Amino acid sequence: MVRWYYLLLAFTIAIGFSESKKELTQGERVQQLTDAAIKKPIINLNSEKFRQFVKATPRNYSVVVMFTALAANRQCGICRHASDEFQLVGNSWRYSPSFSNKLFFAMLDFDEGSDIFQQLHLNSAPVFMHFPAKGKPKKLDTLEIQRVGFSSESIARWVAERTEIQIRVFRPPNYTGLLALVVLLAMVVGLLYLRKNNLDFLYNSTTWGLIALAFVFVMTSGQMWNHIRGPPFLQKTQGGNIAYIHGSSQGQFIVETYIIASLYAAVSLGLVLLTQGYNVLFPSHRRGSLTRPGAAHSGL
Amino acid sequence: MAKSSILSSLRVSWIMQLSVKKQDTLLKMAVLTLAALLSFCCRLFSVLRFESVIHEFDPYFNYRTTKYLAEEGFYSFHNWFDDRAWYPLGRIIGGTIYPGLMVTSAIMYHLLNALHISVEVRNVCVFLAPFFSSLTTLVTYHITKELKGPGAGLTAAVMIAIVPGYISRSVAGSYDNEGIAIFCMLLTYYMWIKAVKTGTIFWSALAALAYFYMVSSWGGYVFLINIIPLHVLVLMITGRFSHRIYVAYSTLYVIGTILSMQIAFVGFQPVSTSEHMGALGVFGLCQIHAFVDYVRARLPKDHFDVLFRGVVTTVAGVAVLGAVALTAMGKIAPWTGRFYSLLDPSYAKNNIPIIASVSEHQPTAWSSFYFDLQLMVFMFPVGLYYCFSRLTDENIFIILYGVLSIYFAGVMVRLMLVLAPVMCILSGIAVSSLLEIYMPQVDLDSNTSSSLDKKKAKQDSNFFFRGQIATGFVTLMSLFLISYTLHCTWVTSEAYSSPSIVLSARAHDGSRIIFDDFREAYYWLRHNTPEDAKVMSWWDYGYQITAMANRTILVDNNTWNNTHISRVGQAMASPEDKAYEIMRELDVNYVLVIFGGLTGYSSDDINKFLWMVRIGGSTDKGAHIKEHDYYTPAGEFRVDREGSPVLLNSLMYKMCYYRFGQVYTEGGKPAGYDRVRNVEIGNKDFELDVLEEAYTTEHWIVRIYKVKDLPNRGS
Repeated sequence: MVRWYYLLLAFTIAIGFSESKKELTQGERVQQLTDAAIKKPIINLNSEKFRQFVKATPRNYSVVVMFTALAANRQCGICRHASDEFQLVGNSWRYSPSFSNKLFFAMLDFDEGSDIFQQLHLNSAPVFMHFPAKGKPKKLDTLEIQRVGFSSESIARWVAERTEIQIRVFRPPNYTGLLALVVLLAMVVGLLYLRKNNLDFLYNSTTWGLIALAFVFVMTSGQMWNHIRGPPFLQKTQGGNIAYIHGSSQGQFIVETYIIASLYAAVSLGLVLLTQGYNVLFPSHRRGSLTRPGAAHSGL
Repeated sequence: MAKSSILSSLRVSWIMQLSVKKQDTLLKMAVLTLAALLSFCCRLFSVLRFESVIHEFDPYFNYRTTKYLAEEGFYSFHNWFDDRAWYPLGRIIGGTIYPGLMVTSAIMYHLLNALHISVEVRNVCVFLAPFFSSLTTLVTYHITKELKGPGAGLTAAVMIAIVPGYISRSVAGSYDNEGIAIFCMLLTYYMWIKAVKTGTIFWSALAALAYFYMVSSWGGYVFLINIIPLHVLVLMITGRFSHRIYVAYSTLYVIGTILSMQIAFVGFQPVSTSEHMGALGVFGLCQIHAFVDYVRARLPKDHFDVLFRGVVTTVAGVAVLGAVALTAMGKIAPWTGRFYSLLDPSYAKNNIPIIASVSEHQPTAWSSFYFDLQLMVFMFPVGLYYCFSRLTDENIFIILYGVLSIYFAGVMVRLMLVLAPVMCILSGIAVSSLLEIYMPQVDLDSNTSSSLDKKKAKQDSNFFFRGQIATGFVTLMSLFLISYTLHCTWVTSEAYSSPSIVLSARAHDGSRIIFDDFREAYYWLRHNTPEDAKVMSWWDYGYQITAMANRTILVDNNTWNNTHISRVGQAMASPEDKAYEIMRELDVNYVLVIFGGLTGYSSDDINKFLWMVRIGGSTDKGAHIKEHDYYTPAGEFRVDREGSPVLLNSLMYKMCYYRFGQVYTEGGKPAGYDRVRNVEIGNKDFELDVLEEAYTTEHWIVRIYKVKDLPNRGS
């Protein structure tokens, strides 16, 4: 008798195990995905989960998957940028008023699902694919990164085209500019307060002159171009050397502008020394000592 | 002694017999005349290489309006409604342009013809800008003379005669507003500086008249109407406000504003837009300040203090509240995007892509500064420092002008033009002050033989090198100036003297080939099509077609109606049958395209095609045009066999490559090899259904097609 019970128990347990390996129903899948999405807007997939949630049918939801390779040894810097932009879209979707369980964002790393990569014939990263609820993904369900890029706005626009769901991308406000301004103001106010008995330095034209000169050097060396275009600091060429100066006249590096600004400053200040040195000091012994470095400066 | 013997041997000893003052005047006049002549001659490269022809696109519109003004008179010009552009909408020209340039040319034309010097309107237009640059040289001399002295004036005049930043927009043939605007601007500044120095109503009224001339010639007058009040404000802050400033600014503001409102295009803007509110505010402040000074002189001190504080707070509060309320109610228009993007440089990039995409509106890299200004980039700070060390009312003005214009030139490349004059003025001051100190020292060398000087030389033993240092420095300065001249002439000759309507290239044997296809096509249109023919082309060529071919066009460079441009874009990007519907709707008789595949001319319509697609697809009627369809599956824009079929069947493709498939363009390449895209074209043998080829120019750069009528019989 007891043997029957044990057999029944074993049988039930075996069935129980197989139950857990059985396909989840659609409702359960949606529930699990929604829970995961609430915790983390971009759901992390591996091969198993991919098959279970993205490939399995029936589905009444669509999934946007980013196929990426974020491991350090893969050296995919662009994957990191794309991942940041994708996170922004996912977060915007998560907190948008039209958040529903019809659309989910997920990512699959190469190291965790290389067989999926092979299956889908993907040999580059990152790739953004949209898996619609019904049918197989078409050509347009892959985001054309070469054409529109992978900024959050492009991704959101593409998602809207494929799923009719509009996502308003919400970039968190950048407080560093504001912080820098507040610090600067505090410094200026503090300086004025400390020297409130002696505000004469404000009336000194030489101070203003030097401020104006500094401003001129900043502008002529192209800092405004740097501010608007945001070029790199310098560039490492293929040979492993460092290029300080941009190849064409259409662009410039930040370090290049600093070199130019210091060159201009050196020449102009040398010329100023040449004139002022003559006038300011007593026209005898020491005049010569100022003109020679001034001339050397400007000669350079 | 040696000097006079050389001169007498040249039979000009009468110069030595003149008094010093007269020699001085003679020298000044000689240098100034030479500078004015130099500035005129330096701009004539393209006239000598090609011919006296108007360059680019916008000058053709100005030329056409000038011709109309010269022929029809001022009242028809002022009320002109042009029905030959933007068919079928038309365009009001009279009230939407700055008439200063046209009126100046028409006056010169009538004056010369009244003296029986028969000059064509076209030649007056071509040579107007160099003539005004000579006048600018003279005005610069006067301004710098007011700021420092005649020596600095002469240096500045010579520098501005050849500075590339100014030459680029005032070369012979570049008939555009900036050619006279710089002269008007400097004239206004000169009058203003004289008004500030003398404080008379005479000079202020002259300044107002010069300001009126400036307003009539260029939209950049906004810069003037903000920098002059700013100058007054700075003078108030630094405690230099006096009755002279009061008289000068009040007169200038009142008369100048009333005069500026006479220009139809400006209208009521001076009292309703934010860009002009600064001037009004400073005007009010002037009155208050003067009144306060008056009261202060009359009241005992403590009474005055109480009154002062109370009045200031109430007035300031009322003024600020008033300004805020008016702006909120919309009575005062906020800053327009164009000017706001100058204050906040990243505004355009994020919010207005059209402004951000124009190449002239890009920020300035350091190489552009150096290319356009060379020596002056580092002489300018020296001049600035010199002005700071000798602060006067007029020096403060030039400092303000310099610092502000260098900021704006850094933000937008096009505004380098506004920076060039002040660079010349301040560099002139710097060079002249440097040379003034060291030139006298150079003579000491030759006189050391006399015993008196030997003693002096022994005393200042450190000064043994003084003569050498001075000579060395003067040589250095001369080398700088020589290199500046060489650079400027090279830049003018290579970079700024091309009339884009006539192209030239070098053949393998070194001889020059001239491509005059544009004018060939336009004159063909003029002579071989009916008077009321309508020509469809992309908007770049609109002004040239109306000016040279004298035919009605659909869209031109004014680009004021995006929907109409979009319709043309849809016609170009659709297949033949759909495009035919659009062309019938718009009454088009001829279509004109620019094609560079045979010659390698890269600014042709195929390279602009994606913009046509984007603009065409941006309105409702063009919703079926998607940019994505014109790329290959891999996302590339290709015209060969791999190209997208939608692209290969579009009207633009067919018009450009009709019969091109049988042409051999390069040795070793198959027939139909496009030399710009560097591929063999994909769709070679096709016939056109709705168009027939009317004319193709010698080098296939311009191709004209006639739109076929509807068939006689039903099919």
